[in-house]
Amino acid sequence: MKTLLLIFTVVILTAFLLAAPGCISAGDKYQEMINCDLHTGACTQSVSENTVTLEVTPRPVKAMQDLSFKVTLNRALPPNTKPPYIDLGMPGMNMGPNRVWLKSTGNAVYAGSGVIVRCPSGRRTWRATVTVPGTGQVDFIFDVIY
Amino acid sequence: MLSTETLYLLYLSTGFTVGFGHCIGMCGPIVVTFSLNLKGKSILVPQLLYHLGRITTYAALGAVVAAAGSFTMVAAHLEHLQKSVMVFAGTLIVLMGLAMAGWLPIGRIFGDHFSPGGWISKGFGKLLKVKSTWVYLPLGLLLGLLPCGPVYTALLGAARSGMEGNTAYHGLLAGMGLMAAFGLGTVPALFLVAKLADMGWLKSRAIIYRVGAVLMIIVGIIFIIKAIRF
Repeated sequence: MKTLLLIFTVVILTAFLLAAPGCISAGDKYQEMINCDLHTGACTQSVSENTVTLEVTPRPVKAMQDLSFKVTLNRALPPNTKPPYIDLGMPGMNMGPNRVWLKSTGNAVYAGSGVIVRCPSGRRTWRATVTVPGTGQVDFIFDVIY
Repeated sequence: MLSTETLYLLYLSTGFTVGFGHCIGMCGPIVVTFSLNLKGKSILVPQLLYHLGRITTYAALGAVVAAAGSFTMVAAHLEHLQKSVMVFAGTLIVLMGLAMAGWLPIGRIFGDHFSPGGWISKGFGKLLKVKSTWVYLPLGLLLGLLPCGPVYTALLGAARSGMEGNTAYHGLLAGMGLMAAFGLGTVPALFLVAKLADMGWLKSRAIIYRVGAVLMIIVGIIFIIKAIRF
């Protein structure tokens, strides 16, 4: 029984110490989810009967620098509707809440500024979830340069 | 705009959830290393001192970004220091592993036969043997500088709160308090991991410590490689 307990402890300890940092820094399997190349230009996706276009500048999109986010809708939102906002995060990893608040600049265009932080694991696949109040939300998954 | 109390609660809960999701993977090996290095002694005070140091550093960083009003500006200045801290953390883990397995003649290197300088000899000797519980406080202060995505995200909010403060002083206090709340939230997850790695309950621990020492060396090397790539 003692030997079994010992073996079990050793296995768990080994698995944790080697797998914990390994899992996080393992090859970025989320790269397959990328649906947008923000380095070259804007990306467009549909949500309900509206289309959402996301543009991030300056390009290429780099982490740890001030970025400008611009969301363009093909249909203007009804009056008194709150503007869209963007939640930045990484697929499969909780990086904490990082919301970019947007303000209307007219003609169904909304702009705001934010920062994509750097993950020491080396994973570079990020997700921008654009929420359009009263309409829905859409995910843009893209690569970021570290 | 959220009230101050709500913001503190939000940061505390963010630290808590991020702690169980992210910190266990990234910082878990560090607290496990400390637990193993204590070889069955109580981990409570050393771990609390380590977390106190870490939270103090987070709070100081929060105050700095709030005062500067810019996260990216402060982060750019910290980059090289953080890389060095990561190399230090890896080296420390490797040395602790070597010392725990008895493969590092600390006495000969840092003792009478090798004396690179009084304070260096004394400092490293203390750090490696970890005889003094208080050594975990400066360790926490230093390792609080380790590069970490969720800490960066929390600092973004601290910078924003600094800009929204009624006065510069209030903004600075808000940034400091928010980061302290975030750090406090991460403690339960890391303490739980450290407690699970505490082998005090096991009677025959020699094999665990030998295996643990080898793993610590490997983990330390992984840290150093990550630091070089960072």
